[in-house]
Amino acid sequence: MSLFRWHKSALPTFSRGGIHPDEHKELTEDLPIENFTPTTVSIPVSQSLGAPAEPLVVKAAMVKRGDVIATVPGGGLSLHAPISGIVKGVQSGPHPTLVYDTTITILAKPSEGGPEFAEQPGWQSLAITQMLDRIKEAGVVGLGGAAFPTYRKLMLPKDAAVDTLVINGSECEPYLTCDYRVMLEESERVILGSWTISKIIGVKNCIIGIEANKQPAAEQMRKTIAALDLESMSPAVKMSVVVTQTKYPQGSEKQLVQSLTGRLVPKGGLPLHVGVVVQNVATAVACLDAVRNRKPVIERVLTVSGAGIKTPKNLRVPIGTSVEDIVIHCGGYTGDVVKILFGGPMMGRTIADLGVSVTKGTSGLLFLTEAETNLNSYQPCISCGECLDACPMGLEPNRVSQYIEVNRPLETEQFGVKECFECGCCSYSCPSHRPLVQFMQVAKAAYRRQERKAK
Amino acid sequence: MSDESANPANPLHLHLSSGPHIFSGRTTSQIMWMVNLSLLPALLWAWLVFGWPVLAITASSILGCVAAEYLACRITKTSSTIPDGSAVCSGLLLAYTLPPGISLWMPFVGGLLAMFFCKGVFGGLGYNVFNVALVGRAMMMATFPVEMTTRWLTPTLGMGKVDAISGATALAQLKLEGYEGLAKMLAAAHDSLQLWFDFFLGMRSGSIGEVSVLMIILGAAFLLWKGIIKLYIPLSIFVGVALMSPFSAAPVVYLLGGGIWLGAFFMATDYVTSPTTPKGQIAFGLGIGLLTGIIRNWGGYPEGICYAILLMNILTPALNDWFRPKRLTAGGAPS
Repeated sequence: MSLFRWHKSALPTFSRGGIHPDEHKELTEDLPIENFTPTTVSIPVSQSLGAPAEPLVVKAAMVKRGDVIATVPGGGLSLHAPISGIVKGVQSGPHPTLVYDTTITILAKPSEGGPEFAEQPGWQSLAITQMLDRIKEAGVVGLGGAAFPTYRKLMLPKDAAVDTLVINGSECEPYLTCDYRVMLEESERVILGSWTISKIIGVKNCIIGIEANKQPAAEQMRKTIAALDLESMSPAVKMSVVVTQTKYPQGSEKQLVQSLTGRLVPKGGLPLHVGVVVQNVATAVACLDAVRNRKPVIERVLTVSGAGIKTPKNLRVPIGTSVEDIVIHCGGYTGDVVKILFGGPMMGRTIADLGVSVTKGTSGLLFLTEAETNLNSYQPCISCGECLDACPMGLEPNRVSQYIEVNRPLETEQFGVKECFECGCCSYSCPSHRPLVQFMQVAKAAYRRQERKAK
Repeated sequence: MSDESANPANPLHLHLSSGPHIFSGRTTSQIMWMVNLSLLPALLWAWLVFGWPVLAITASSILGCVAAEYLACRITKTSSTIPDGSAVCSGLLLAYTLPPGISLWMPFVGGLLAMFFCKGVFGGLGYNVFNVALVGRAMMMATFPVEMTTRWLTPTLGMGKVDAISGATALAQLKLEGYEGLAKMLAAAHDSLQLWFDFFLGMRSGSIGEVSVLMIILGAAFLLWKGIIKLYIPLSIFVGVALMSPFSAAPVVYLLGGGIWLGAFFMATDYVTSPTTPKGQIAFGLGIGLLTGIIRNWGGYPEGICYAILLMNILTPALNDWFRPKRLTAGGAPS
């Protein structure tokens, strides 16, 4: 429909590139979040960026839901028991990104009971440092997928002039609907969580960005904002919902900041350099749980979908639930599953071991059949320029790929390799199916090796 | 990690790869075949006005190109790339640049040589520096100069019942005999409205695929609708040629005659040999338009689009370096 490109939508969006992949959200968007607790959970100690935690428990120890089971010695995020039970072992186990990692396995024993995580009175008037401590103690990380420790993102540098909190409800990855369900079903927690974060970073303005394909969520959030009387809370925060165009990668920090505020994050910078902090909706809920209920991150909502799974679902599962248990809970496979993904189909990672378990950053578990993906090998670049049009950063993936093919990775910075955040728009658009993101990764790895050598 | 065959409990054959895991659905061969499809109206018209020989010439040219592609794949021991449609595309385009009365064996030789030396030797699809069809035409101009410049047919509706060899194309007449010569040739049967009409519809002598501007526009509209080509290159070529037209005695013939329509929409827009950014494409098109004018006005040939495109092909890598995409974040390091 390129003839009609001048017909622009009135909704805000980012200025450059982007794609419109098939959404496939209809598989799960109307399915309410369902709770599922397996009989065993296996928690890898590496759950976020930074040093891995060290196990505090040994085999046969009894743990209760929420107990600290691993900590980082120098200070960092602790891990908590997702369920009450007995430690079956501390051993090496499969990990979605690191391949193998130290893993604590807990066998459920519901008779052990556990804390209720009831609302703590007076939570709203806690000091900012106390709130931050609670968020850190609860092990909150970015639940949108990046898994960056949230307390570090909220501890602003002294000279930062931040005036806006952006709550990311874009969920631009196809298939995924967990954030959508959270916004529909737990809108009050999202709003109160956003208020909590606003208080911590000291902003009076909070914008919730939601893509146009999630109108019901936008309406629900607006209703909740009207009902909650946020103006009377101290401090008062002005909250608004902005519906953006449905366009991938709307949920990328830099793109969303531009869509909602018109501000451009400088090269190599963060949103806070233009006065904005971005948090995902599920992270806002986790922050509220941490501050109001002192509840650590021991479970998360994720979307189980794809043509390869019998009954797609939106599930709330304890951290450490294995892929295998989820497959069985969702009725097994249909058709030939060729790829199992942690995350969405654009930026998600393939796994090859059903023993891999859900981590804090797992937003989706997709079972793709051959018809949904492409297993063909790639062809030479025909210089069509599709990747240049698709790249939201204005980089040149085509030329990076050509340099990598002739093994000249250290000459690719001129094409913007270091600004690439691997959204995948280039590879998605490439008619020759070139693995352009992978070429970018190869180039980045070469630069990292060079930097290490220089030290 | 786990070997599926060694683990009967896991019957899946899982693939590991970097993201993304979904694709737009457009493939290179799909694009090539859509281009081929978009070229058919022009062939249909040529068949209608020049008769059956044009189909044989086209087949001969395609055969030459496909044979060269086959040879190149055999020599380099790579799997056949004939199904991707690019060899057929080059064959079609080469045939479109030939006079409709040319001997049947010549297009085969031209296609074979062009495809092999201009594409196969360079590494196949994506690696050629020059437009294959135009290299073929340039080779044939050098090898068969007489047939390439004299075997014109007079168009007659009815599939070539009259197979009269016509004198010359309008541009050649203009070059050789000047404006009076051209006027004499055209005025013999036509008033000026008819002249416009003939050039637009394609009732003029010329190369197989270039005579009907209307049919070329139909094919180009299809490619535009499908998002395969953009207007930057064709429009800037027309601007370039228009800038040069005041130097000509007959601007209408100048803009509608010759091969600029075929060249602008189907030759210059070839992905591999044209720049990738809009600004680069505009510079590329302007260069082609101006060079076409220079060759037509002051060069030795009546028509210059072929050599103009080939010359600008050389500049493509430089244009890609000079005109880069605009980065989203041009600013320096954060404060």
